[in-house]
Amino acid sequence: MNVRWRAALERGLGDRKTRMLGLLLIGLGALGTIVMRSDANFETVFVASLVAGSVLGRWWTVIVPMAILAIVEPVLWGGPYAIYSSHVILGLTFFIVTGFLFVGIVGRRLKPRVVFRVKSIALLTTVSIPMTIAYDLWTDVGEYAFIARPMGLTFWNVLEAQVPFTLYHLLSSLIFVPLFGSGILMLHALGWPHAEEATVPAEPADEP
Amino acid sequence: MVARMSERLQAVVFVVVLGLAIAGLYAYIQVSQPPPVTASGVVRVSLLIDGAAWTISYGPVETWNNTAYSLLLEASTTLGFPVQAVHYSIPNGVFVTSINGTTNGQDGRYWQFWVDGAYPQVGADHVALADGDTVTWRFITNQGGNA
Repeated sequence: MNVRWRAALERGLGDRKTRMLGLLLIGLGALGTIVMRSDANFETVFVASLVAGSVLGRWWTVIVPMAILAIVEPVLWGGPYAIYSSHVILGLTFFIVTGFLFVGIVGRRLKPRVVFRVKSIALLTTVSIPMTIAYDLWTDVGEYAFIARPMGLTFWNVLEAQVPFTLYHLLSSLIFVPLFGSGILMLHALGWPHAEEATVPAEPADEP
Repeated sequence: MVARMSERLQAVVFVVVLGLAIAGLYAYIQVSQPPPVTASGVVRVSLLIDGAAWTISYGPVETWNNTAYSLLLEASTTLGFPVQAVHYSIPNGVFVTSINGTTNGQDGRYWQFWVDGAYPQVGADHVALADGDTVTWRFITNQGGNA
């Protein structure tokens, strides 16, 4: 591989620990959302995007939400979204993708203040509340444009119908942001237990 | 001067506040879920399905399928037409996506239902039928109008 490309990749993806955490977030984000797909607005893409931006930063701010959505969206297209035509699905997907990108970018702005401390978990959890509402409002615009307006409904109708779903989404964020946040921050600060053990020799080496 | 809380105390306070917030929100969500319908016998209930290009009539019948959804399934079994639906646990309810091969989204139309002309605000499996009710399913573009 070209040296410059390799250097850019190293800078963008970070060290081995950061890459492992990025992949872990993608796995947890995709798995959680697929497992909970019958519970409306209970998902783990939001938390994975927020934590990716605020803890890992770099390219992971974009890679994590995009990779999770690349895995999850086709599964949802065949399930709950199967009732919609392809142009409706594409329209909704645009709002979902840009919404989660926004969450990741806001998380990235928090990164300097996020360390392995209770205050940081509290900060992430607190920020997740207005972010969840903002994300839902943004995707409501998509639902209005592609579903409600063709049915003769107003944007206000969409907002009214959204209220219980936003409550479910807030509950999801309040549960998963502290869980994911504390777990990933701990791994980020302390490293992987097995990796640490593997790098420490059992006995001092006799030879250099 | 206010003493700084130790990290451990901060964690305890955070967990308590978070637990209370989650418990309160969860309790509200559970309370706001539509109650399940208890099975009971109903008489003279009818079903009319208007698929825009076709119609299906069923009943009046006497049955223990006393929800708008279970009556639809009964008609589906008796008359031999397919019904597809998505089941949600939160919010609890069923969302009918296709009846007799006519699927939501075609020409911007969606399946909606009325019970004796009233447009319910809960899933079809949470609407209890009374004696003499007529359930109407229509494949239409606008919402909430008269059946």
